[in-house]
Formats: sequence, structure tokens, C-alpha cells
Amino acid sequence: MKPLLAIGLGNPLMGDEGVGWYVASRLSGDPRLPPDAETLWGSTDLLRHAGQIEGRRRVILIDAVRDGAPPGSVAVFENGAGLDDRQTNAHELSAVQAMRLLQLMMPVPFTLLGVSIASAAAASRLSAALEARMPAILERVLEELGWNCSR
Amino acid sequence: MSVVVIEHLARVEGHGGITVELEGDSVASVRFDVFEGARLLEPLIRGKSYDEVAPTLSRICSICSAAHTLTSLKATENAFDVHVSPQTDLLRELMFRGESIESHALHLFLLAAPDYLDYPSAIAMAADKPAAVLLGLRMKKLGNLIQETIGGRAIHPVNAVPGGFGKPPTVDQLIELRSGLTQGMADSDAAIDMMASLPAADFCHSDTVYAALRSPNLDSYYSGDEVMAVSDGNRAIVHAADYKSLTSEQSIPHSHAKHSSFRGRPFMVGSLARLTVNPRRLTGRLAVAMKRLKFQLPADNPMDNNKAQALELISDVERALEIIEQLLRAGVKDERPVPIHPRAGTGTAITEAPRGLLIHSYTYDAAGCIVSADVITPTALNAASMELHFRRAVEQCADREEAVISKRLQMIARAYDPCISCSVHLLRRA
Repeated sequence: MKPLLAIGLGNPLMGDEGVGWYVASRLSGDPRLPPDAETLWGSTDLLRHAGQIEGRRRVILIDAVRDGAPPGSVAVFENGAGLDDRQTNAHELSAVQAMRLLQLMMPVPFTLLGVSIASAAAASRLSAALEARMPAILERVLEELGWNCSR
Repeated sequence: MSVVVIEHLARVEGHGGITVELEGDSVASVRFDVFEGARLLEPLIRGKSYDEVAPTLSRICSICSAAHTLTSLKATENAFDVHVSPQTDLLRELMFRGESIESHALHLFLLAAPDYLDYPSAIAMAADKPAAVLLGLRMKKLGNLIQETIGGRAIHPVNAVPGGFGKPPTVDQLIELRSGLTQGMADSDAAIDMMASLPAADFCHSDTVYAALRSPNLDSYYSGDEVMAVSDGNRAIVHAADYKSLTSEQSIPHSHAKHSSFRGRPFMVGSLARLTVNPRRLTGRLAVAMKRLKFQLPADNPMDNNKAQALELISDVERALEIIEQLLRAGVKDERPVPIHPRAGTGTAITEAPRGLLIHSYTYDAAGCIVSADVITPTALNAASMELHFRRAVEQCADREEAVISKRLQMIARAYDPCISCSVHLLRRA
């Protein structure tokens, strides 16, 4: 098990909402990925990945965020601070809630990279605007992985 | 006129809310808007080859990804007249049980229990009741392990393919699952203790039509092609191919999901419906647990769906253990998937996802590509019944305080365990 894990959250069938999934899938074959890091194409349920998270030195989450910033902007939320942690779904825990619950069981620090999106609608690809920003998004995620790696 | 609006039921803004309009003490209207993600995804699979359909539609829901995968495979196999092996049937049933354990544990311990105990979330409840939260997480992990072992991944299974499984589990893997399930037996008893300790939720009573899969052995989430609808002692059977006569879907102006009704009445699907349709399952440890929970059939309280889920944790663990023992006794065969020979035709499958009947129906062309698809989720089937029960709850609530009504309606919504918008996952800044 590698000490660093990057999990891309989201649904690839819901267009830009799946940006985390797309980032993780593209990073998995990227030669720039640090040797002590690996990626996981996640889902919308972070709690499902508890088994893969346990024992890691650090976990980087990549997820879509709706915050009014230009699409493709990347913001860093250490351990989810600054994100709405209310229960807003009747069916599963939000990523922020799941992160907090996992931290009750395992001392894993999370860094959440929120990628700003403008809309979430059924589509099997990213919008052209977000696709154009993908190289920069990937570099930003790699920078975070490398920074954590060297630290 | 006063209006009660409950917005926070879904991740997608503007969807998944409940609106109640009161005129004095009378209920003028109750509207429940469901965001139905599954229907939005149907166009994305038109033209796709048969072997791409299940992996795509698995993405409808994270919690129910196994059910969507296996129901999709069953519909495709029905279209091509493919009959899978008895071992495949058993392994698929085992996956369903794992998913049910995982889903019910998440729902009961981390979503429903905080409502009963007046905590805003499972995180808040964990500070005072860590044992309950950890018990839920342990059972969820057990369900995940079953799905990962058989399905090849913790979520969105890749090992379940048309005609069978890419690779069957090893004996060692089954023995490991058996060990986890043995602990699960004790944990499912503890789940009953937890449910029995919660305050009563007795604020909505209504005659209800229940519908669930009628399986050949009366205890399957996967086998069978008939649905039984039960109400007031009357029973009716609908075959899978005639599913539209069960659903009679109608577009509703205020909802993104169509409303279903059977012979003019809304119906409820899910754990409570399964136990109502198949009451002969309620023997042994289940009968003892029923008494502890003061649970009786027929039920007229939708909140009893939570008790029914707790009871199913027992039967799911027991059935999973039985399947594993059966596989170990017979020896796991290293069999390959049944070959698929595409042909033009239509196939329909009905199964029991954790929160109720799930319908997939596909029409293929001669090359095995999708011409049309129809996916009806349990939450869509339940939408009209939920709205009816919301109305009954408001009518039966002597207190017209908005906070009281809001709390009760949210608890009923939660009891249905609805999947309103789980195909998306958005974060928002605080």
C-alpha cells in the first residue's frame, strides 16, 4: 500500500459533476505521478472507500464544488474546513460528513481539492470549458501530491 | 394559507423538496418533487453494445451499484434468452445480500437513528453514542466486503458480466466472508437492540398497498419474474414483462419523477413491502426480533420500514451464510460466463434493490445494441406513496407548528430511504 492516495469523487455520467473521477482516471497513467502515490477512481460515496483509505499517510480527495468561481478553479480545503457539512441527502453521507466520520475511526489527514463547476447535468463527458482547464487541474493536483510527498 | 417547505432532501438545488400548503387546519396540498437521475441516464446508453450497458447504468447510484449492475445483466440475458448457471444465481444473490447489509446499516445507524434521537447528523450522534455508529460502520464494512469479494470492486462491480462472472471467488475468500458473517450474526442482533431502544415514531397511519418481488423460494432479491401487490388481504400478481400495468406511470407537474399507481392506488416498495409479501420468512430469530421491536403485519405505519430493515439485517446475514455454506459444500466451480449470442428483442428484469423493486427493461437490435431502455427505481415507484403518507402525517398532526410538521415529514422521507439524487455529488462552501 502506497502512503499517498488520491481519490477522485463524482459520477462520470453527470458531466462536470464527475470531474474528480476524470482527474483520477487520467492521473492513474500519468508518469508524473509520484512513486509513493496512487489514484482511485471513486464514486459519489466516500464511505465506500474506507477500506482503501485505512493506513494511508495522507488522502487527497478531488471533487466538484459549486462556489461561483470560474469553472476549473481549484481550491484547497484541509480536512474539509470551509465546506458545508450539513446532511443534505436522504440517502448517503456527504463527502464532508463521510470524511469527518472516517476521522473518528482512523487518524488519516484529508486534503480536499475542490474543482469549481458551473453545472451538473447528464452527460458522458466534461464540458468544453472544463476540458480546456484539465491540464491545469491535473498539474495542480500533481503539485499537491508532490508537495505532500516531499514533506 | 401557510406553507411548509422542506428543501434539504437532495444535493441538486431545486429538486427533492416537500411543500405543504395549509388552509387553517386543512391540508390544501402536499407536493413532493423527486429528482430522478436514472431517467436522465437512459439516453446515454442508446446505441451502446450489450456489454457496456451494465457498467454504465451501475453509475446511477453508489449505494445500489450492485443492484443496478445485476438487474441490468438479468434484463440483457432475458432479451437474449441466456440462462446462467445455478452457481451464478447464488453468487448474484450473495451480492444482493451484501449490498442490502451495507445499505441498511448506513441508513439505520448513520441516517435514520440521528433523526429519532434528535441529532443533526451521525457525526453529532457519534460523540454521545460511538458504539452505535461503530456498529453501523462495522456492518457496512461487512456488506462492502461481500460485494468487493464477489463483484471484484467495493463499488460498481466489474466481475459480474453478461452470462456469469469473470472469475468466481476462491474457497479462502468464502471462508473469510463466513468469518465476517459470523460476527455479523451478533451485530445484527445488536442492531435490533439499537432499534428497540429508539423512541416510538407513531405519527402516520394509512392503509397501504405493498408491492415486492415474489420469488420461487420466497426469499430472494434476485430470482423470480413476478411482483405481488398486497392490500387489505387482497393479492395480485404482475409478471415482469407486464411491468407497465404495475406502474401505470403518469407525469406530475410538480415532480421530476413520474408517479406510479397500481389499480389507481399508490404503492410502497422496500423492506416493509418485502416482509408483507413474503411473511413466511418471519420465523426463528426474525420472529424473536419482531417481538422485541413490537413489529406486526400488516403494518399501517411507514416508519415501520426502518424496523423492517433492521429485521432484514438478520435475514440478509443468515441468507448470505447459507449461500456460502452451500457453495463450500458443492465446491466452487471455475466456470466461464455463458456465451452471449445477441439478437433483436426485449428483456425485462425486476429485482429487489435495498430500497425496493428495481426495473430495467431494454430493447436490443440484432447486433446487440440498445434501441431503447427503461429504468424505474424504487424511489420513483415510491414517490406517490411518499406523498400520500406526507399528507396523512400532516392531517394526523394536531400540532400545526412548522418545526413539528417538518421534522415528521423528514423522518417519513428518511424511512423510505429514498435515493433522490445520488447520481450526483456536489460540495458547497459553508
